[in-house]
Amino acid sequence: MANPALVARQKFRNGAIYFLLSLWIAFSIFTFIWILYTSFKSNKELYAGVWSLPKMIHIENYEKAWNVVNLKRYFLNSVLITIVSIFFLTFICTPAAYVLSRFKFRFSDFLNNLFIIGMGIPYQLLLIPLYKMFLGFRLNDSLIGLGIVYIALSIPFTTYLMSGFIRSLPSELEDSAMVDGCSELGTFWRIMFPLAQPGIVTAAIFNFIFLWNEYLLALVFIMREQKRTISLGLYSIQSAMLFTADWVGLFAAVVIVMLPTVLLYVILSEKVMAGITLGAVKG
Amino acid sequence: MLKRKRILILLIPALVLYLGLFIFPAIQALWVSLHKWTGFTADMEFVGLANFAELFRDETYWMSMLTTLKVIFIGGAGIFLLAFLFTFFLSSGIKGKKIYRAIIFYPNVVAPIALATFWSFLYNPRFGLINGLLRLVGLESWTRTWTGPDLVFWAVMVALVWTYVGFYMVILLSGTEKIPADYYDVARIAGANRVQIFFRVIIPLIWDVLVIAVVLWIIMSIKLFEFLFAFSGGVAAPRPLWTNAVYMFMLTFGRRVAIYRIGYGTTVAITMVILVVIFSGIARLAMRREKVEF
Repeated sequence: MANPALVARQKFRNGAIYFLLSLWIAFSIFTFIWILYTSFKSNKELYAGVWSLPKMIHIENYEKAWNVVNLKRYFLNSVLITIVSIFFLTFICTPAAYVLSRFKFRFSDFLNNLFIIGMGIPYQLLLIPLYKMFLGFRLNDSLIGLGIVYIALSIPFTTYLMSGFIRSLPSELEDSAMVDGCSELGTFWRIMFPLAQPGIVTAAIFNFIFLWNEYLLALVFIMREQKRTISLGLYSIQSAMLFTADWVGLFAAVVIVMLPTVLLYVILSEKVMAGITLGAVKG
Repeated sequence: MLKRKRILILLIPALVLYLGLFIFPAIQALWVSLHKWTGFTADMEFVGLANFAELFRDETYWMSMLTTLKVIFIGGAGIFLLAFLFTFFLSSGIKGKKIYRAIIFYPNVVAPIALATFWSFLYNPRFGLINGLLRLVGLESWTRTWTGPDLVFWAVMVALVWTYVGFYMVILLSGTEKIPADYYDVARIAGANRVQIFFRVIIPLIWDVLVIAVVLWIIMSIKLFEFLFAFSGGVAAPRPLWTNAVYMFMLTFGRRVAIYRIGYGTTVAITMVILVVIFSGIARLAMRREKVEF
């Protein structure tokens, strides 16, 4: 460290990285703030200056997005399908993860790998066979059908995350419960399931973010306007822009789409980070 | 033994759904790829490997393959370079690490369609933010049609890197967090500077996490769809954005006229799976080294 040229060079390098990082963060914050304040402008103001702040709060942009272009309907569809899917995923994947991570049986390694493989398969492979199957069940173009697809396709990830979480828990409590004569199923529901709550919450957050933002599957499975999820709805508004040129209304819709996941993230970002750590580091 | 078997009941719902609605359709896709199939209500005509043979003659397919590779390698290079830089900086004990991390990660929680909407406005040639800024500072001549055919790929790449760098940075950072603090102290006492510590201590110790991150990027980039599709025009998405994933959609569901190429589209999807297997295999092999335990 004695060499002053070396020190200077290192300082410069650190300064450069720091500058880049600050710029990056400033831009990221800016994207959110810009979308937010633009959604309160009028189109006239927007065309006059894309960078300027609104002079008046045009709350009617939101009214229009919510009611006139029917974002309300898409929003409720997405709330419904997301919540119901997460509910089922919790009760389907937590037990499976418990068995896969705690018990050794003849096919346990094979099954563990089978679930992991699912995370590497692009959904595109499944689109055609699934669509054909759901057409046969008359479950295409319905929120129930899409919900079933969401649940099935989220099983590998949810099971994997829950397995990682359950492995990180000590097994003494289960052991002593079984010694006390608690059945294995009873041990799961009374001991393991409550203990797994933090993992369940983490999985629920991730699934909420995935499913709320999901687009490809909804695009394939949903046709009718009134069945659209929020991403489909937003995209249809964006497409209609060619004719309406109502940018501020579009950005009001963007805010409505962003808000649930961003709010969740602001409140629970530590959980999100912990979940990624759990998945990537311990997995 | 009976008791042990009873526990397997807990596995059944997940297994049945997964086998029935994931593994079974995945295998069925192989069967579909051997057929000519023009619509879901039409009959499938068995054509053997003709769809696979067609791939070799299909220029659009190879263009889409090239674009996919560009996304994997160029996008990946940008993402990992920046993720490393940010990890280097944030793991060096600066104040506010958590808040920086949270802000860089934030685009990952936002709907890709919403992000695509914002970015397409940013790039809008007539009144977009970039051209607007350039005009404002008197650089009128620098304004471009950012979403024109020659630039659109790069425009999307920038948006993509901005969106996903946070995810990979968080993974790498989480690797650094499990390194015991005294490792740094020992390296520092031995006279290592921060750059040396980063390359000689941190990277070897987070190697297994790095491999996972690379494999995740390979999977994510190959199936990437929303961003490219929504960026400009949906079914009218410009050709430079057609990856295998977009081409697959265009062949099957994305048709404006209802003459589908379902069998052939599924064949394209199968090659995407092959791509995932090959590249994640290569990444694992190339990056294999002895596991460091600590």
